[in-house]
Amino acid sequence: MEAPPVTSMPVTGGAVNMMEYLLQGSVLDQALESLLHRLRGLCDNMDPETFTDHELVYLLKGQQGNPFILRARRSLSHPTSPWHLRYLGQPEVGDKSRHALVRNCVDVAASHSLPEFLNEMGFRMDHEFTANGHIFRKGVMKIVVSKLSRILVPGNTENTERLSLSYLVELSGLAPAGQDTVSEDMRSFAEQLKPLVHLEKIDPSKQRH
Amino acid sequence: MAVGSGQLRSALWSAEHHQQTAQEREDAVLSQPSNIPLLLSPDRDEDLAKLTEQRVPVFSHEIVPDYLRTKPDPEVEEQEKQLSVEAARIGPEVAQKQIQTLNKLCSNLLEKLNNPRDDRDSESAAIRQSKPSFNPADTNALVGAVAFGKGLSKCRPPGPVAPGHPGQGPMMSGGPTLQQVTIGGGSGQQAGMGGPVAPQQQGQPGKIPSSIKTNIKSASGSMHPYNR
Repeated sequence: MEAPPVTSMPVTGGAVNMMEYLLQGSVLDQALESLLHRLRGLCDNMDPETFTDHELVYLLKGQQGNPFILRARRSLSHPTSPWHLRYLGQPEVGDKSRHALVRNCVDVAASHSLPEFLNEMGFRMDHEFTANGHIFRKGVMKIVVSKLSRILVPGNTENTERLSLSYLVELSGLAPAGQDTVSEDMRSFAEQLKPLVHLEKIDPSKQRH
Repeated sequence: MAVGSGQLRSALWSAEHHQQTAQEREDAVLSQPSNIPLLLSPDRDEDLAKLTEQRVPVFSHEIVPDYLRTKPDPEVEEQEKQLSVEAARIGPEVAQKQIQTLNKLCSNLLEKLNNPRDDRDSESAAIRQSKPSFNPADTNALVGAVAFGKGLSKCRPPGPVAPGHPGQGPMMSGGPTLQQVTIGGGSGQQAGMGGPVAPQQQGQPGKIPSSIKTNIKSASGSMHPYNR
């Protein structure tokens, strides 16, 4: 189910294709405080926001090729907020000089019946995890520092176990397809976080094999 | 000697009888601290505007607290009072010692900032290397977990999961259970949605075809009932 590269497709009515630019890195627990201080200084002035989210990843396996993946996320700290459903496409491989991972991104909000709906549609949950940490914003870019935990008993978000002793740091930006200005901003911001964190483009398909 | 004394005398004379130029006279008026406002009017005063380069066109009540202020702001005054009380409280010897410490700290800092030393750079670099703040292996592990669930337990139940349990939250069946779902592209036919797919028992890796066939055709534009 490989979609053609989105940036080459014409925009034919309806919503514009949004691309997500992503840079990832990690930071050890002991360096977390200094990273948070630096981010508080570099980012837009807002109250420090923490979040606790539970993400479920649903797969739809067709007869051919790669399964279709949808990510459903809900907030454990705001239980009444709507669910967030996200589709992330394959990373664009066009431009080698582009510093960030670029992929098509579709975000929608959904009601609390989302898991049942996805099951009815034929999706099956592949894995789930909880993420909790801090979120910062700088202009269009979003910086998320989160601690991932695996869920030991499916469906029970209280009983979790940390995946590693590091926090995942993600710098992401959303832009309409074709506009590449976010990439430069992200690269210069990533420079400012060195040597605490090395944010780089990590291709998930290379990780798998 | 005569020329020198002549110059000295003329310099002294001009200092005593200094005739101010018009500009200097104006500046002197504005910079004298004993200005007394005699008249406040809300009318625009052209001369004043020209004098102040259009910054004060009206000498009215609004500009009084800003331009004619001689005491500091009330909050500042309060803070200053507190500081002077504090200073009086600690006594002169303690104050002197504090002043000396501050001076020493400032001079140390200035010295460090003004004299970049090579050995200082290398020692700070060594410290940074011995205490790394991130671990690339952890990065890869975390990215793998987020991207495709590496390290997260996949939900594969050992037994069959009956389809009639809608209220139990996400169903825990395994991944490859949808072999009987045909996802065809739209071809002008009506979109038909079959019933819910029944997950199959996964006793072995082979797929057991079920009797339930569902046809989920993706709805494309051509299947719109209101064909344009």
